[in-house]
Amino acid sequence: MQLHFAKDVLPDSVGTDFQNLNKFNEQTDRFVQQLTEFAGEHGMSAGPLRNLMKSVLLVPQGALKKNLTTEQVKEDLLTLGLNDEKAAHFSSQWGQHYAALSRLAVGQTLMVNQLVDMEWKFGVTVGTSEIQKVGNIFLQLKLVVRKGNSTENVFMELTLPQFYNFLHEMERAKASMECFA
Amino acid sequence: APSKDAVKDVCVQSHRTLNRKLTENTAATFSIPAAQAAQLVQSLHTLSHHVLFYNLTSPDQILAVFPESFHSNLKNLITKILLENSPAWRTEALSHQVSLPQLKELDWRVDLVTSSDSVSRMAVPTCLVQLKMEDPCPSAGGEPVSTVTVELSRESLDTILDGLGRIRDQLAVVAG
Repeated sequence: MQLHFAKDVLPDSVGTDFQNLNKFNEQTDRFVQQLTEFAGEHGMSAGPLRNLMKSVLLVPQGALKKNLTTEQVKEDLLTLGLNDEKAAHFSSQWGQHYAALSRLAVGQTLMVNQLVDMEWKFGVTVGTSEIQKVGNIFLQLKLVVRKGNSTENVFMELTLPQFYNFLHEMERAKASMECFA
Repeated sequence: APSKDAVKDVCVQSHRTLNRKLTENTAATFSIPAAQAAQLVQSLHTLSHHVLFYNLTSPDQILAVFPESFHSNLKNLITKILLENSPAWRTEALSHQVSLPQLKELDWRVDLVTSSDSVSRMAVPTCLVQLKMEDPCPSAGGEPVSTVTVELSRESLDTILDGLGRIRDQLAVVAG
């Protein structure tokens, strides 16, 4: 495996590489760019380094998925053939960044019709074509819902009692969620 | 007119819509020619909508609408019928007014997400809210009732409650 080839080159930069790894969920282009820069700095070609990183990334990805401890990550790395010093360094970095990484992974969880934004306005109806003078309070809500790659706007109107009911129900939902805190 | 109830019926029905069937029925009930029946229901319709629009709530206000020479008992009877039905007509008009789809029903459910394709084991709560809305004036061929189901993370729900709280505070200022 190419890990043997990298043993001499990786030592100091493992730290910066982990900044990259923190972003592996998001911008792979930036990551690739940083890899290319790193390759340039150390006088090696980008291609093999990219392949190398693909293999290396398997470790944190699998570790995240299985919620591995620092110890388990270190063991796996040693089994794979990485030397002691680097495995220790890597796994301690893993321990440090684990919380942020798993938050990112959880944040990637599929959500259906995710509510992205809510806008509102309320006012008073002054009159209608049927009744000259009215004085009812109304509330209008605009919900922005993510459907696939685009968003959809949902508009609705609520009377005062409906608004209080909505508020009440949302508070009940929150209380239910709090049970899992 | 054959009876007080007949008068009441024609008033109520003419308020709603005017159509040929109503005219025919009225002509039959009151034993008057069709032309007169048509004029009768039209006049009643205009009268009841006038009362509703200007919110005439006292007998004097309504009586003032009739011409001087109008038959006194009939005038009083019609006024009484109009007064009795006004509140119901007003509520009906308000519920049919031009408006965005109205929120009719709200249901929610809280789920605990235990695993996903990127994380094998987790325990993250999420909330699903279903909103049923009804459009009081749907466009021709459009569906009046629509349903939207939305998923909220805990943070989203907190943000919503934040917003709703602010609305509630502002409402208290306006209404109080």
